[in-house]
Amino acid sequence: MKKVEAIIQPFKMEEVKEALKSLGVDGMTISEVRGHGRQKGHKEVYRGQEYTVDLLPKVKIEMVISDARLDEVTRALAGAARTGKIGDGKIFVYDVAEAIRIRNDDRGETAL
Amino acid sequence: MIEPSRTLSDAAAENQSAILQALEDRAAGAAAQAVRAFENVLAPAFPDRLALYAVGGFGRRELFPHSDVDLMLLADRIPDSPDEKAALSEFQRQLWDGRLRISLSVRLPADCKMIHEGNLEFNISLLDARFLAGAAGLDKTFRAQTPRFLQISGPDLARHLLRLVRQRYAKFHDTIYHLEPDVKESPGGIRDIHLVHWLSQLRPIEDLGDAALLEAARLFMFNLRNRLHEMSGRDNNLLNFDAQEALSDNPEAWMREYFRHARVISRAATRAVEAAEGSGGGLLASFRDWRSRLATSEFNVTRERILFRSAQSAVPDPALKLKLFEFAGRHGFKLSRSAELRVERAVPAIAELVASKPHWPYVRELFGLPNLSLALRAMHETGALKAFFPEWERIECLVTRDFYHRYTVDEHTLVTIETLEELARNKDPQRERFRALLEETDGLPLLRVALLLHDAGKGSGEDHSIASVRLASSRLKALGASEQERATVLFLIQRHLELSSLMTSRDLSDPAVTRAAADRIGTIEHLKLLTLLTYADISAVFPGALTPWRMEQLWRAYRAVADEFTRELDSDRIRTEQLNERTPAMANFLDGLPTRYLRIHTEDEIQAHFHLAEAVPIIGASIQISRGGAAFHLCVVTQDRPYLLAAIAGALASFGLNIVKADVFGNRHGLILDTFVFTDPLHNLDLNPSELDRLKGVIERAISGKIDVQKLLQGRPAGRKRPSRVEPTVLVDNAASETATLVHVTAEDAPGLLYRMASAISSLELNIEVVLLDTEAHRALDVFHITRTGHKLDDATAGTLRDMLLEACSV
Repeated sequence: MKKVEAIIQPFKMEEVKEALKSLGVDGMTISEVRGHGRQKGHKEVYRGQEYTVDLLPKVKIEMVISDARLDEVTRALAGAARTGKIGDGKIFVYDVAEAIRIRNDDRGETAL
Repeated sequence: MIEPSRTLSDAAAENQSAILQALEDRAAGAAAQAVRAFENVLAPAFPDRLALYAVGGFGRRELFPHSDVDLMLLADRIPDSPDEKAALSEFQRQLWDGRLRISLSVRLPADCKMIHEGNLEFNISLLDARFLAGAAGLDKTFRAQTPRFLQISGPDLARHLLRLVRQRYAKFHDTIYHLEPDVKESPGGIRDIHLVHWLSQLRPIEDLGDAALLEAARLFMFNLRNRLHEMSGRDNNLLNFDAQEALSDNPEAWMREYFRHARVISRAATRAVEAAEGSGGGLLASFRDWRSRLATSEFNVTRERILFRSAQSAVPDPALKLKLFEFAGRHGFKLSRSAELRVERAVPAIAELVASKPHWPYVRELFGLPNLSLALRAMHETGALKAFFPEWERIECLVTRDFYHRYTVDEHTLVTIETLEELARNKDPQRERFRALLEETDGLPLLRVALLLHDAGKGSGEDHSIASVRLASSRLKALGASEQERATVLFLIQRHLELSSLMTSRDLSDPAVTRAAADRIGTIEHLKLLTLLTYADISAVFPGALTPWRMEQLWRAYRAVADEFTRELDSDRIRTEQLNERTPAMANFLDGLPTRYLRIHTEDEIQAHFHLAEAVPIIGASIQISRGGAAFHLCVVTQDRPYLLAAIAGALASFGLNIVKADVFGNRHGLILDTFVFTDPLHNLDLNPSELDRLKGVIERAISGKIDVQKLLQGRPAGRKRPSRVEPTVLVDNAASETATLVHVTAEDAPGLLYRMASAISSLELNIEVVLLDTEAHRALDVFHITRTGHKLDDATAGTLRDMLLEACSV
């Protein structure tokens, strides 16, 4: 099993969700996060007041999937989240040791 | 798990009061069990040394199916021998085995005559103590000491009780209008019935409202809690959506009934709390009296509540009631109970009065007051709000099934308006940017009217934005709002979800997206109002809904569109082919003005400007000055020439006038249209009407170069020098516009500031294409679009200009 964690532009969330849904991936956790990548932040002046915009709003999507689905899922995710501009985000993939469904103690991929 | 069940409406058709018998029977059964176990186990082990009491709800004979059975054992000393402890354990075991969920405490008589600050529930539970069995001597002591204890410690007990009430209300954000309320703990729930009961025991309360209504509400809540316990098989008091559906075929209508009852209870609780608060003679009460010492010929304020000064008159005077709401909104106090009652009785007369003639001037004034939300709450509670806005009835207590919303529609609406008042007071640096928008706008009354009506169309089955616009449109017309005001309010209602959707689902870095949004929104003023509306609307969904993340997103959306408005000014010009429907002369006048010009001016203003333009002499200018509220409006149309802006600004400064807003636009034929809003802090123009003509003359001569503005200004006495609170900043932006260099200046607003800046720009032989001037409190916020021989500035010139402007701001 793999855990896929994607940091994407907020406005791409619906598109990404739809793309994943069309692959049959329904289970995911979504959080509102703030951060920056290589482009770092910048200072903005508004009405003479300086604001540091070093943490930009992003959306984090996390899901655990079977190894076999990794390729199609990451491809769909990246395809839906891409604008081609700086700030499109990143996808991270981790190995998952175990999954347990709390309700009935299902283990492994059946728990997904 | 909710089981399908008979609906509560069926039960309502039967005798509601049967519930009291059921609760009492249950209490009697539990009492019999407890007494039996006591006689079997404890009486032999503690001969004449223990008394058994039912306390809390059990003491009141109100035992719900899965409520705890609260018992107290009064002992002459703490039982500590092994035999005594074993007997107590056996007593509890027998009751548990008998399936009674008991909660037992063992106390000495001395415990019962002191306040337990950390366990006030114990003190309170004693108010309902009922002797069941055991040592008569102990009970005699208890009965003798309790009234004395209440007499001495009653006020203290009440004070602690009120603290607990405030904590409980805070958990529910001080409102009864939760979509999924807790029928026991929510404000307006059963705990509030107990509160009234306890406070009445501590001190008689004169007026709790209609006793029959209160009793009906009590029975409704008791029935409801009983059903919730039966349905869920446990002590569950949460009236969630599932439960609402199980209890009624028409949950939305039925929830309105729930809120009606909860409101009766909540009002009684409020009156009991106010009576208890009023009885304290301590420092706090004196402070509050002092703070609220305020009186007019019609009203006075006592203990932070407004009262009518005159005695009750036989004829209801609706106009006086309207003044009462204005008084509440201005000074920020709630109505006293007596004032509320008088308003309630006058509601039909108020409705008649409002219907008899357009009341827009009153509404506009009211909606501009600092504490509008208090006035609206008072109008809502007394029913007077519906006299002004009959649409309000549609959303009163209206439940919408929505994953995010936590309040009924009316409550959500009132919270949006409170949110903006809270923003005005909030010092949180993260919110400062939004607070600045609030301070900058003079459209607050219209924004608040839009908020009041933005969800009026909910529950109609169609797109609620459209339905709300339709309802608001006819209401504003009936009230007599002007066409322009109506247009602003309806725009805000129609577009109230625009920024939410922009900030979450659109790419703000895409110029096409922000461009399209700017086109839809129209003007920067609309954008500011819409941003504030979105801020309030999201915040009022549930506490904490406007997370820092969402706040940042909303701000980014605002900035992206605002930048679009600034950027477009010099590049987006009116083209003749857009002007087919205009006369050739008018088209000639409009040709090349910024597109924004058509959006920010009404047709009447455009016509007035055109007539001024037609009258422009070859040398000199067409000038018009008019009065609008507290400010003056100056419009100057003339041929472009060097130092033009400096001349006008200098002439105004030489009269001690203070420029608060200005737009400077040019058309393609070298005609310049300058509009200024200025104030007259020294009241020169007010006191000497002839000065207005002299001002016109000076402006004209300054423009024509017949007088030297600098000399005029030298003749003026220097104003009192105020230490600058704003560090001046000059930001030169060569990227924002395709055709001009944008210079953003922020500085402490001061007399002659614009004159100095305009002079500095002209002295470098630069051309001012467009100027937007704004003032926020004492801060001047100016944007100049500047070119040199038709091009953007090079870096060296930009640097020199920046230095000169900084110097101009620092004088």
